[in-house]
Amino acid sequence: MRDRWLKYMLILPAALIVLGTTIWPLAVSLTTSFRDWRLTRSLTPGPFIGPEHYVIALTDDPDFANAAMVTGLFVLFDVTLTVVSALGLALLLRRAGVLQSVTRAVLILPFAVSPALVGISFRFMFNAETGVFTWLAGVLLPPLKGFVWLADPWAALLVLVFSDAWRWVPYMTLVVLGGLAALPKEPEEAARIDGATEWQVLRDVTIPALLPVLAVVAILKTVFALKMFDQVVTLTGGGPGTSTVTLAYLVYSIAFRWYDMGYASAVAWILTALLVFLAVWYMKLILRKPGQT
Amino acid sequence: MSDRAAAARRRRLVWKGLEAAILLGMLFLILFPILWMALTAFKRPVDLFDLTILFTPTLDNFRTIFGAPWNIGRTLLNSTIVAGLTVLISVPASTLAAYAFSRFEMPFKGALFFTILATQFIPAVVVVLPFYLLFRDLGLLDTHLALVVVNLAIVTPFATWMLKGFLDAVPTESEEAALVDGATRLRVILDVVVPMIWPGVVVTAVFCFILTWNEFLFALILTRDDAVTLPVGITRFRTERGDLWELIAAAGILISIPMFLLASVIQRHFVRGMTGGAVK
Repeated sequence: MRDRWLKYMLILPAALIVLGTTIWPLAVSLTTSFRDWRLTRSLTPGPFIGPEHYVIALTDDPDFANAAMVTGLFVLFDVTLTVVSALGLALLLRRAGVLQSVTRAVLILPFAVSPALVGISFRFMFNAETGVFTWLAGVLLPPLKGFVWLADPWAALLVLVFSDAWRWVPYMTLVVLGGLAALPKEPEEAARIDGATEWQVLRDVTIPALLPVLAVVAILKTVFALKMFDQVVTLTGGGPGTSTVTLAYLVYSIAFRWYDMGYASAVAWILTALLVFLAVWYMKLILRKPGQT
Repeated sequence: MSDRAAAARRRRLVWKGLEAAILLGMLFLILFPILWMALTAFKRPVDLFDLTILFTPTLDNFRTIFGAPWNIGRTLLNSTIVAGLTVLISVPASTLAAYAFSRFEMPFKGALFFTILATQFIPAVVVVLPFYLLFRDLGLLDTHLALVVVNLAIVTPFATWMLKGFLDAVPTESEEAALVDGATRLRVILDVVVPMIWPGVVVTAVFCFILTWNEFLFALILTRDDAVTLPVGITRFRTERGDLWELIAAAGILISIPMFLLASVIQRHFVRGMTGGAVK
């Protein structure tokens, strides 16, 4: 019966790690967010000023509004592109075939590449005039010849989405393939015997059965898109102008370029609150599944 | 009737062709950036913007990045130390915790497990602010220790989740038999349970190693010279004289090859990493 204490001892190391490396910094940045603290003026935290930073961020800061907008658009494009492509690709890869198995084998690769490196490589390939993708786009669509992708606000955002999708779509395809493999075969076969076309089988049987998996993919991708930081630094640097400054990048700028720790913490916490909300939703979704306690 | 059959056959053929075209396009999209980087790594600067793949390959770029002032060997070592230590600390701790979550009932178990898992959704940037200030006060900026501590925040929840999935799938009979024979619980965990889930432990360790190896934000903020890891190291090749693409590519190959190998080793289980067994 020493198990009664043992089980807590077993959890203790991991619990201490999480407490020390996540809960503590979260608590500190929460209190910091209510204080006036600019490192340029003082090395120690200043006085508490109430929710002023939050009020400023949400009502009176064009930089925040811009970053929220950029992040929202990025999430929208990125999640849509990822879910649709992963589903489509998984459905194509489901069958046997040489091309299918080759593609399945390489799906693992992009996710193993450091996101920072992905950003730099895409910067290279979308380089003005000399980038290989810049050239390719000009060949495929002649009006795009000579177009400077990273100098145009919308194009830069799209390149950022493309670079992130490059890393995530193959991974999420594997997730959807796993979901497809776990589906029972009978409903699809029954529908076919009843004379349904392949399209109808897909729309009325396969996709509805896949919805839980697609929800997992969509929420996970939303979370990681909201946190997007690495490629912003290495691919666009937030530019041109501020057209690709995401919320995570804005926090970084406020904290380590302007050294305003109080305000940076407040913006970071707005992002955190959003993510925690998504986390709760996600966990309810996956922990509810039978056999997954 | 035969007309309709012929039309159907034609439609099927067109559809097959379309499928092949899409798959080939996807293959191209996935592989091209990697291949292009690999090619660039062997190019001389003069061939850099030549779109031909016919060029005289050179190993100069690798020689350059290992020499002064870049000393990429040092950066490589930093990455290995940080990722290795992070895994060595987090995987044993996570194994014990995952075992407790898998085998025992306890008050607030759900809430506790939930908290550990939810932490992986926290943006890294909110975690790094207090740590930056703490490490600055302690004089620990630009050290391996600082990076290991913050990386534990990312890796531990993943590891706990993955390992619990592996533990849940293992039958408990042999454990119970060993307990009845009078072995202590800790001995049982070490001698019976860990050997049984060893493949799962390896998969988890490899996954966590890849996550830490590729981590960028912490390294960007907490290191300057001594403890710089590879993802930040490659940004050093973007100098005031311009971007040294051939060196970036050579370093990029150096970062990526070990991760490709590791990812292939755990291929089948790779997906569990993020989804924690929610999707098998």
